[in-house]
Amino acid sequence: MENQNGVSEPDQNGAATASKTLISMQNIWKTYQMGVEELHALRDVSFHVEKGEYLAIIGPSGSGKSTLMNLIGCLDSPSKGDYWINGNLVSEMTDDELARIRNKEIGFVFQTFNLLARATALHNVELPLIYAGMRAGERNEKAQAALASVELGDRVTHRPNELSGGQRQRVAIARALVNHPSILLADEPTGALDSKTSAEIMTLFEKLHSEGNTIIVVTHEHDVADRAHRIISIRDGQIEKDERIK
Amino acid sequence: MLKFLGSSFYENLMMALDTMRANKLRSFLTIFGVVVGVITVMLISSIISGINVAVEKQVESFGTRSIFLFKFNPGFTHGRRSQEERMRKALTVDDAEAIKNLASIETAVPILDVSNNLFGAATMVTGKNGKTSTAVKLQGTLPEIEKTTVQILVDGRWFSKSESDANSDVCLIGSSVVDSYFSYKSPIGETLEIGGTEFRIIGVLEKREQLFGGGGGNTDQSNVIYMPMGAALKLKPYADSLFILAVANEGMLEKAKDDVQDLLRVRRQVEFGQPNNFEMETAASIIDQFQSITAGVAIAMVVISSIGLMIGGIGVMNIMLVSVTERTREIGIRKAVGAKKSDILMQFLIEAATLTGFGGLLGLFLGWLLTLLVKFVLPSYVPWWAPVAGFFASVGIGIIFGLWPAWKAARLDPIEALRYE
Repeated sequence: MENQNGVSEPDQNGAATASKTLISMQNIWKTYQMGVEELHALRDVSFHVEKGEYLAIIGPSGSGKSTLMNLIGCLDSPSKGDYWINGNLVSEMTDDELARIRNKEIGFVFQTFNLLARATALHNVELPLIYAGMRAGERNEKAQAALASVELGDRVTHRPNELSGGQRQRVAIARALVNHPSILLADEPTGALDSKTSAEIMTLFEKLHSEGNTIIVVTHEHDVADRAHRIISIRDGQIEKDERIK
Repeated sequence: MLKFLGSSFYENLMMALDTMRANKLRSFLTIFGVVVGVITVMLISSIISGINVAVEKQVESFGTRSIFLFKFNPGFTHGRRSQEERMRKALTVDDAEAIKNLASIETAVPILDVSNNLFGAATMVTGKNGKTSTAVKLQGTLPEIEKTTVQILVDGRWFSKSESDANSDVCLIGSSVVDSYFSYKSPIGETLEIGGTEFRIIGVLEKREQLFGGGGGNTDQSNVIYMPMGAALKLKPYADSLFILAVANEGMLEKAKDDVQDLLRVRRQVEFGQPNNFEMETAASIIDQFQSITAGVAIAMVVISSIGLMIGGIGVMNIMLVSVTERTREIGIRKAVGAKKSDILMQFLIEAATLTGFGGLLGLFLGWLLTLLVKFVLPSYVPWWAPVAGFFASVGIGIIFGLWPAWKAARLDPIEALRYE
């Protein structure tokens, strides 16, 4: 694979900016076979994300934004087109290589938090480090630090059912960040929270962004999207609008 | 793969124990079959080894230098004896005398069984206390028996050459005979009526280890009376169920066996190239024979307990399939944060193996307790390999029957799994 020397591969932006390109999607198609009919969830989608961006992907349900999120998060592979993340050509990877990319490059935050119910906050945050093969001592230290950074340093031994919704989402964010991924990928991160807690979480995202993290939020709520610096609107599997708002 | 196993084996083990703790009843029901299977292995293997050890001890108590000679195989036989076997002539006192004179032989003594009279009825033994018994083994022999270890004197004396030559009505009795006829006084000098003849007791023999716990019956080696050969022949004229006990000189057992065989072949006119028309056994050969029988039982045991373990394994597979379905979302989460197929596969395999391994340990413990109980009735001795085999078999069952559920878990699509409610 020629992407091994990597970052200069997406060439449209020129060498100077290319060194900062984290995500490059080129002519991405995702097609599902429904009986005899072909359903195009994504049609010819192309965009780039630079390091340090705060991007929202917005669209109504059925627009293809979930499909796009799954592709960005390397949970799925496109039917057609090239997808580069941090210099890796993801679109041609095997399942195990995708797992490695999810582990190293992507931090997921889900609408329903998706924490392991029986595990403590600390163990939940340690999970990506376990799969990265890190030793227990180092792992513990890093997970503690990640929890402290989302102001949950005093909740490490709590289980999810002993935490409030906002605290759970912050545990999930700590888990997403603990392995220092290239991007933080959030899917409706405030969907299950009340408005006050939602605001707290969005403030946390801004703080994380200001610390240099690259954030992509997938949502259908405009006031969530409006906190981002750039909004990509999806409709019928295509990019309708791609605008920088800050 | 191995590196992976090393780094997160502990994690997986902890997780598995956690899951078991969270589902105590279910886990117990799941491993029940494995527990029973392992108990079976423990019990049967310990009984078999126990019996083997007991038989070894008992046979060796007759002396490791002893050679036993019979008209035909006294042990377990299949069906009727062959025509040739039934036509064999009996061993004689003269045979014993000839064997005794061999250079490699220390001594040889004939032992004649007269427990039954000429008409096949058991000879009655009556004591002064009014007790009668027909279960006592009556043996006629010669004074040379003193030099063997087949019976050991604890009180009194063996009969002398002159008593033997005179066919005196004297006898030595085993400890069980003492127990039933002379519970309150020393039997030496007392009398017993054997087959209508009054016998004076001159000696008491050591109690022999019992193979199967207490109980008397035919297996009781201490329910025995020894008397001079001539006296025995008076009880049962023409008696011919005679065997010869020969003791080889120190370190000459193999030579002695050859010598005895050559001698008896000549005396019994066996033609060159024909098989022996008598049976020769040593402690080692009797133990070998017995162990070949218990080995057969052991194989049957393996089959039976395998069935138990298989059923246990199917239970494990069933519950692991349920567990995988229940934890679909967990699998999705793990995959989303970077678990590879092999990670998930390993997690569920280790969980299944932990479950059955725990069942194995429980079975070993319960089985061990049961062997302690069994010791009251049967000889039992837990061989070192039984717990090892039991444990590894149960872990193996977990791995084999956990494979399919674990594979199902490993190949779940992360998107589907995350969406699962």
